[in-house]
Amino acid sequence: MPRVTSIATALAAAVLAVAGCASESEPASTATGSEETLKVGLAYDIGGRGDQSFNDSAAAGLDRAKAEYGVETNESVASEGEPESAKEERLRLLAQNGFDPIIAVGFAYGPSLAQVAPEFPDVRFAIVDDASVMEDNVANLIFAEEEGSFLVGAAAALKSQSGQLGFIGGCTVPLIGKFEAGYAAGAKHINPDAEVDVRYLSDPPACPGFSDPAAGNTAATGMYESGADIVYHAAGGSGSGLFEAADAAGGLAIGVDSDQYLTADEAVRDAILTSMLKRVDVAVFDFITSVRDGDFTAGEVVYDLEAGGVGYSTSGGQVDDITDQLDEIAQKIIDGEIKVPTEP
Amino acid sequence: MSTQTSATGAAPPTTAPRRQLRVTPFTALLGLLALLGLLAFARLVTGTADIASAGTLRAALGAAVPIGLAGLGGLWAERAGVVNIGLEGMLILGTWGAGFAGYQWGPWAGVVAAVLCGALGGLLHALATVTFAVDHIVSGVAINILGLGATQYLSAVVFTGVPGGGATQSPSVADLPTLGVPGLDGALAGIESRGWFLLSDAAALLRAATTGLSVLTLLAAALFVLTWFVLWRTAFGLRLRSCGENPAAAESLGVDVYLHKYVAVVVSGALAGLGGAYLAIVASSTYREGQTGGRGFIGLAAMIFGNWRPGGLAVGAGLFGYTDALQLRGGGASVHALLLVVGVVLLAAAAWQLRRGRATRAALVVGVGALVLLWFFLTDVVPSDFTRMTPYVATLLVLALAAQRLRMPAADGRPYRRGEVE
Repeated sequence: MPRVTSIATALAAAVLAVAGCASESEPASTATGSEETLKVGLAYDIGGRGDQSFNDSAAAGLDRAKAEYGVETNESVASEGEPESAKEERLRLLAQNGFDPIIAVGFAYGPSLAQVAPEFPDVRFAIVDDASVMEDNVANLIFAEEEGSFLVGAAAALKSQSGQLGFIGGCTVPLIGKFEAGYAAGAKHINPDAEVDVRYLSDPPACPGFSDPAAGNTAATGMYESGADIVYHAAGGSGSGLFEAADAAGGLAIGVDSDQYLTADEAVRDAILTSMLKRVDVAVFDFITSVRDGDFTAGEVVYDLEAGGVGYSTSGGQVDDITDQLDEIAQKIIDGEIKVPTEP
Repeated sequence: MSTQTSATGAAPPTTAPRRQLRVTPFTALLGLLALLGLLAFARLVTGTADIASAGTLRAALGAAVPIGLAGLGGLWAERAGVVNIGLEGMLILGTWGAGFAGYQWGPWAGVVAAVLCGALGGLLHALATVTFAVDHIVSGVAINILGLGATQYLSAVVFTGVPGGGATQSPSVADLPTLGVPGLDGALAGIESRGWFLLSDAAALLRAATTGLSVLTLLAAALFVLTWFVLWRTAFGLRLRSCGENPAAAESLGVDVYLHKYVAVVVSGALAGLGGAYLAIVASSTYREGQTGGRGFIGLAAMIFGNWRPGGLAVGAGLFGYTDALQLRGGGASVHALLLVVGVVLLAAAAWQLRRGRATRAALVVGVGALVLLWFFLTDVVPSDFTRMTPYVATLLVLALAAQRLRMPAADGRPYRRGEVE
């Protein structure tokens, strides 16, 4: 039996070692700053750099700050299925190592930041996509996803032959509901008879639907077969399944967060009508700028159409003929003439 | 002893005469027709055409393949007496291998690499459980964690910076060819679109089974038949199964138990790896972290559902694949229509129990069936929280109804040391 235990221990140790490698922080790149170099800590959601979506956008903002201000940075990334305590520890470690400000990317950090922020009242935090943490040292970087979604919804209705559209959400959380609500409202603004078929791939807390391309493909194929011709997704990595389904069914798809025409596989690019842009890079860069300039403000900062935080992409040229109409709608949203709902 | 080694997995002989329900090709076909009839009935009553459409059935088949392959892997291991809860980890290793080799050297290289990666996971499990007699569950859980951690680490090292790749996903992998019977699709689609009772549904089923099939789907089907043949019709298979029933007796008859267990667990990992290849190459066209989504565990459940037999496992995988496809495609409305089918099946099961003189169990089943039907009549849509439970509820229902008929290999999960007598 002792032999068995020792083997088991060795196995467990090996497991821990590998798990440790996977979530290990990337080495800090030190910039030899002049007077007082900012030390920016950034904690990514699952995926981290290279996810071609949300996290990459945050990384772009950080890179820009590094290039323009020469800030010192430390990046770490969440891993699949990690416990809440791991997120807390990640934020705590950054704060203890003197990083200030610290940016948590993604609503998943909400509960852990609510724990950690009060422990370090002198450190300035920011969290992307979460408005629930209300502390004096936390800025909530919120996006008006519904406004961007309204525009792509309008684009879909303008381009649709059948008047039947689809929406695929990764997980039934309020955040994704904003995408759905804006998209449906935008489609109905153009065509009151438009029908939007809505499907969510998973439920919280696990939300596996953000990384299941097979599920995205199945759901999308079902929509195209039942007559929908344009489907929009807010399902992260499952979106690649949608693009394949669109390509196979001869339909169109709408990307999300970043300009997915540029990152999707070349074979399916022509199936991407446009993408709803969510400029996390702008938010991250602006936040670092505000801290650098000494005007950090706690509470909600909303990145909407007016602030250039959301929008739509034109790569591929499929919406070139309707940009005038879309820009007109965008102006009406900015002027408050069109009220965009945030809940489906 | 003789009853154990020659057991074909059916009910123990003492109760066999009363319970025996022989599954022949004829009864299987009859059962399939009855099920199809029920689906057709539900389709006409509720007006949800999608529950028996070719698209749904095709998606169901696609969803069933990785589940079935993982389950087949579990079957090989457990028939040799090794519980393999590490299937999920081996599935993950398979998806990674498929992504890694697939984007560089083509999809077939991806398939080979996935099988090798899965087999490597199996080898590790065999080393821990057979050579070092580690508790099977402990080793399996470790492999699940190791599979996830190792692929996360390797992806970050290998895919970062490659065009189209990143820390959590590989560049895209080209698809494998699909096969089908030419000329059939159009004619069958015509019949399907008429919406005739049973005839259209049969056409839809034929359409899903004969057109647009990935070669991996066909390979998986062939592996089911091959598994049945090897394990139940060859001397090697008998020896392998004897290791799962009574390894001490097998050893005394000159069977190399360790070797057979090693082979079984490595094959188990290879099959799970092939399931991973299907997920990464056919179902999607990229490796993506987390894309297995617990399908390894569902495969294990399908195997238990199928009474450690390939045929039963295929039915289980098909059922889970179907419910998964249905909730993904049709959502609450389609699953709502399925309630009608479930209710009728339960009432039929109750009648069957009553005929065999089990009044209390019949009453229980009638009660559950009535509740399901009541739910059907009182609502229009099943909330999404419930639709995603469908595969699990289906497993529970079947286990509750059929647990007494299930029989796992007698020495399943017990560490075996050479020369030890229990």
